Amino acid sequence: MASKVFKGIPVSAGLAIGRTYFLNREAGTSIVRIYIVPEHVTQEVSRLKQGFNTALEELEKILKKVPVDLKEQAAIIDSHIMILRDKKFQKSACDYVKSRLINAEWALEHAVNDIEKAFSRIEDEYIRSRIQDVRLVAGRVRSKLYGQSKNYDSKPERMILLAHDLSPADTIELKLEKIMAFATATGGKTSHAGIIARSLQIPAIVGAEGLEMIQDDDIVILDGFSGRIIVEPDEKELTHYTDLKQRFSDYYSQIKRNCYLPAETIDGYQMQVLANIELFEEVTAVIDNGGEGIGLYRTEYSFLNRNSWPSEDDLYEEYRDMASIIYPQKVVFRTFDLGADKISPHFGPLDEVNPALGLRAIRFCQQNPGIFRAQIRAILRASTLGNVAIMFPMISGLQELREVKEIYFNVREEMSREGLPFQEEVPFGIMIELPSAVFIADVLAREVDFFSIGTNDLIQYSLGIDRTNRYVSYLYQPLHPAILRSIKYVIDAGHEAGIEVNVCGEVAADPYCIPILMGMQLDSISLNPQAIPGIKRIIRQTTMDECKDLLKQVMHSSQVHQSNRLVRDKIFTRFPEELMFYTSLIEES
Amino acid sequence: MAEDIICETTISLHNEFGLHARPAGRIAKAAQQFEANIMIAFNGREVDAKSILDILSLAAPSGSALRIQARGDDARYAVEHLESIFRDNLGEDR
Repeated sequence: MASKVFKGIPVSAGLAIGRTYFLNREAGTSIVRIYIVPEHVTQEVSRLKQGFNTALEELEKILKKVPVDLKEQAAIIDSHIMILRDKKFQKSACDYVKSRLINAEWALEHAVNDIEKAFSRIEDEYIRSRIQDVRLVAGRVRSKLYGQSKNYDSKPERMILLAHDLSPADTIELKLEKIMAFATATGGKTSHAGIIARSLQIPAIVGAEGLEMIQDDDIVILDGFSGRIIVEPDEKELTHYTDLKQRFSDYYSQIKRNCYLPAETIDGYQMQVLANIELFEEVTAVIDNGGEGIGLYRTEYSFLNRNSWPSEDDLYEEYRDMASIIYPQKVVFRTFDLGADKISPHFGPLDEVNPALGLRAIRFCQQNPGIFRAQIRAILRASTLGNVAIMFPMISGLQELREVKEIYFNVREEMSREGLPFQEEVPFGIMIELPSAVFIADVLAREVDFFSIGTNDLIQYSLGIDRTNRYVSYLYQPLHPAILRSIKYVIDAGHEAGIEVNVCGEVAADPYCIPILMGMQLDSISLNPQAIPGIKRIIRQTTMDECKDLLKQVMHSSQVHQSNRLVRDKIFTRFPEELMFYTSLIEES
Repeated sequence: MAEDIICETTISLHNEFGLHARPAGRIAKAAQQFEANIMIAFNGREVDAKSILDILSLAAPSGSALRIQARGDDARYAVEHLESIFRDNLGEDR
């Protein structure tokens, strides 16, 4: 019998082979609809109320367990409690049992549909999307109606957890010692579940449609490299993956053991390896994986899910803790990059035809000076407690840069007047991610202390493609001659002016791209913490000479396919073993 | 039977982002402490102030004028209390 395969998005690397357990299976399955006799109405209503009460007690218990540093999760759970307590919601469901003579599950569905109808008329997209919360809450009630308890913790072995979706409440409840991996049917690359999995270092896949078809206790292979879930694998697949799992675990423990060694080539060229992080919690992953500081702290993520805008003091507390934990290593705070795909609930999406070219990042901050100044103040206040740098995204020209500098120095003067202490020499940097900034890099370099090249956006804006758009994503080519020339030009312009140049973006974590970046004699790279041990290992096994040689060949190539082939052949012969456990942005030829 | 006490006021919404989940939850929580029947009206619609879902469905943006009406023995206290919460910009002001 051929085994069944489900495909999703891998969000945390690794392999797991085990039995499955589906969490809250009922929440996403079709609802049982039964007509009841009038004599059963009282019983059915009390079953429904009981469901609400049990769900409420459960959420209140969870809320007590939320660690203090997860304030946003607490706020979400709290609003779920308010929805459960909403008398009208409960009453409307109970009334449906009485008036329609239907079972509790069906009545609950009617009540949710009513709310959905009321919400669908709302223009405010953020509020309209809150219907998701109502559905999550209803799902929790429904699972109580069926009487499923979360009993995977009673199983003797560690399970592979499956779910439609994992809410923040679910992730707090996870019995980690009982889970070896998980997969969800919904969600994308940036879902919360992925961050949790990476920080726990268990393999995970999201967005695997059709997972519901997998029965509890089925044996599956979960491949966190390719995003495949193989159900009831045959003998051959089992042997292959058991072997691969062993090799990965050997490889991984080896690279982890050496992750604190400097990234120094055989011929003595040293590269500083920093980490990109989105959430405060990830700072432990930076330290565990041998990160030599934080090269890009994407400050907007910590409140994207929150309903209220953080105050200067909220930000200060977060930045102060970050700066002192990572000290003496540095942390680079990239100011809010909001807009485009990162929409704060407060502002809601703007009415823009083309948000990627719209009011985002530095432009957004300049138009919301209150928020911008509060963040700058918070970063400067934290600077006395650590090694802090500040960096501004999406700078497009000199005029804009000077305006930002004016605000920045204005804030500093204001703080001096107020007697608030800050470090005088906080390095001031900008991101180079627009083609316009690339071509005037020599001009911009005289105005700042460092550059960081954001390759994800630079590729997108230079090649004019949205890589999440599946019709054109094949054009996303990191080795496109235009991209390589841009990066090289910026590095050379920076060095000419005597400032440091960093590359952050996915190419820095790509084993095929790293030797080329090395050849350009970058000062530092910044990448996701989990990729650091592997990249450091590759750097330690190369020589600057061979990197320069490869760079020269690639710079001479005028065709991206030719460059890709060159790089693949070279890296594959040099590091055949490593590449089994990596995915690359470079397309297979 | 004694006449119900009715008390009402109009307030304007000054928090930065309108009646979103957190402020809505705060109002509902506060309203639930009172016996009185409390309604909030905006833009021709009137909803129950004790229901977070009802309040959310108003979708009142910042700058809106809202009418609060309470009916019951503690109507006056209810209106005063809610008014003070709105005046504090729903606890979002720093």
